[in-house]
Amino acid sequence: MAAAAAAAAPGSVSSPSAAANPHKRKKPAARAKRGKGSNPGSRTKKPKRSDEPADRPRRRSKPSDKFLKLLRKRARDYNSDNDDDEEERLSGEEEERASSSGDEAVGGVTRFEQGCRAFRVAFSKIMAKKLPDDPLGPILSAHKKLVAAKLAEDVEERKPKGEGRKDKRMAAQKGHIIPAKHLDSKEKELIKVATQGVVRLFNAVSKAQNSRKGLNPSRTKDAKVLSKETKQTFLTELNKFPIHQKGQASSNFSKHNSKDEDEPSWAPLRNTYMLGSKLKDWDKMQASDVANEQTETPLDDSSDEE
Amino acid sequence: MARVRNKNRRSGGKGKGKWKMPASVARKQQAAMARVDQVTGARIPKSFVFSRGKLPSTLRHLQQDLRKVMLPYTALNLKEKKRNNLKDFINVSGPLGVTHFMILTNPKSSPHLRLATTPQGPTYTFQIKEYALAADIANSQKRPRCPPEIFKNSPLTVLGGFGGLGEPFKNLVEFFKYTFPIVDPATVKLSTCQRILLLQFDKEKENIDFRHYSIKLQPVGVTRKIRKLMQNNQVPDLRDLKDVSDYVTKAGYGSESEADDEAATVSLASDVDKLNRASRKSAVRLQEIGPRMTLHLVKVESGLCSGPVIYPQPVAKEGVGEKGKEVEEEREGQEDEDLMESYDGSEDESEE
Repeated sequence: MAAAAAAAAPGSVSSPSAAANPHKRKKPAARAKRGKGSNPGSRTKKPKRSDEPADRPRRRSKPSDKFLKLLRKRARDYNSDNDDDEEERLSGEEEERASSSGDEAVGGVTRFEQGCRAFRVAFSKIMAKKLPDDPLGPILSAHKKLVAAKLAEDVEERKPKGEGRKDKRMAAQKGHIIPAKHLDSKEKELIKVATQGVVRLFNAVSKAQNSRKGLNPSRTKDAKVLSKETKQTFLTELNKFPIHQKGQASSNFSKHNSKDEDEPSWAPLRNTYMLGSKLKDWDKMQASDVANEQTETPLDDSSDEE
Repeated sequence: MARVRNKNRRSGGKGKGKWKMPASVARKQQAAMARVDQVTGARIPKSFVFSRGKLPSTLRHLQQDLRKVMLPYTALNLKEKKRNNLKDFINVSGPLGVTHFMILTNPKSSPHLRLATTPQGPTYTFQIKEYALAADIANSQKRPRCPPEIFKNSPLTVLGGFGGLGEPFKNLVEFFKYTFPIVDPATVKLSTCQRILLLQFDKEKENIDFRHYSIKLQPVGVTRKIRKLMQNNQVPDLRDLKDVSDYVTKAGYGSESEADDEAATVSLASDVDKLNRASRKSAVRLQEIGPRMTLHLVKVESGLCSGPVIYPQPVAKEGVGEKGKEVEEEREGQEDEDLMESYDGSEDESEE
């Protein structure tokens, strides 16, 4: 019986046609036949296996193509493991032989015990068996179709999900370009332009700072130039902005009495304060002023000449 | 509100005698001082780099890279929250003296960059056609060079190819010029010029190439070994040499023979470091430190992300229609394939 169960275990997983076998073999006659010799038993099994494909067409009309394919694959897997199974079977049958010889001597009462033991042996054998790495796992053959269908559904569901994720990743990476290992001609050109800009700036700096450094204030000639320069710069600094305001302010003060009949001198008190269009572009005005001051910056040069 | 981490926040009021300046007044004074360059008296532009909407991780990295470009006058660790709107940033920018905004957005998953002056525009909106992060560029180089000291000073700017262009680009040049502190040749220290930002206009495609390089100066006519000796401050390995003079005279690698470009050599006005002394010729070497961007001007608004549009570029609406058509075609194609598959299946079944 243990042998039958052990033999049935692979059969039940391998194909639906083989699943019917255990019931037939439970008959004592079959057991007695098999009890005679272990080797012939294993031999008789082999032709049965080869018969399996012959059984198949009968049932083939029902299952789908996919399922059949799966079954075929599973059968192939089991056939490859064939040697291990047979070894197990051999050892199991030897054990069974020993047990059956003992049982016959004792009689009917021990039948229950025997069954119990057989069950124990069979169960322990099944539990000790190494399972193949199946996605489906050990399931009864009846459920197989269902599980296979479910798995197929899962695969189909996962496909669009994965594609969506891929699209998302692509969208996030849009415009992101990993630069090449070598500098191409465009990059080289850009570096050249930038280098030119730096060189221009450095030359301008050396021009501006060396001209002052070269002059020696102890020499009368240079001292004169220096003094002139400083005075000039000072005056220009003065003339740039504040003097105008001063003049305006003083003129305002002087004309205060004469002019203020219609308008107060302080700007916020006038009616036209903040109404003119001057205020709108105040930042641009400032910017353009600064630009006029610094016409010598290399930034201007580079941008203008190119 | 947007939070700004201010590391060197000093408690105001340095008054020695009886009268102590109120903290608020001192703070205001200090803020006013910080806005102005101590030497030239020019106004220092400061910037915020932030994003609107959710960004993918690569664009967030790009944002951090842009902040590094804008250093030191920017908030490197500016944290923005989902509930912050543009008004919050504008409100904060006033007291902090922030003059420029760089806003990264990702509408319909096509990255855009907005450059704006605060508090009242104009706003330039660019589409970022291509970009590469600083990390990508470092990965592409054999010996990436990016010492942290170079971020202590603001970059030089070089604007190329903008000459003789129309109205929006003229203003754009002005904008770029005043986004960074202005370099005054009479007073600038050469040791502070350590990186450069290049904005090159491509007239054919109307793109602006945004590149960021580090500047390296190398003395001309000094062999590599001597240079290394000076830089490393270490006793060189002389085991294999018979004489000390061999160390100097022995030829090095092939790269040394590489002739320096005459165009790339400068005579320095002042000492930059130990190697590059004044009145010595030095070669200028640039190495890219990223990020790299290709920008395309899409829109100019007169306000800060609002107001009338000055420079519109007609967005091609036919393009959308074409896309829709393509999608439809694809669908049809898929259906055809499905039909084919079903046919195949039926054939198989019949055969069996």
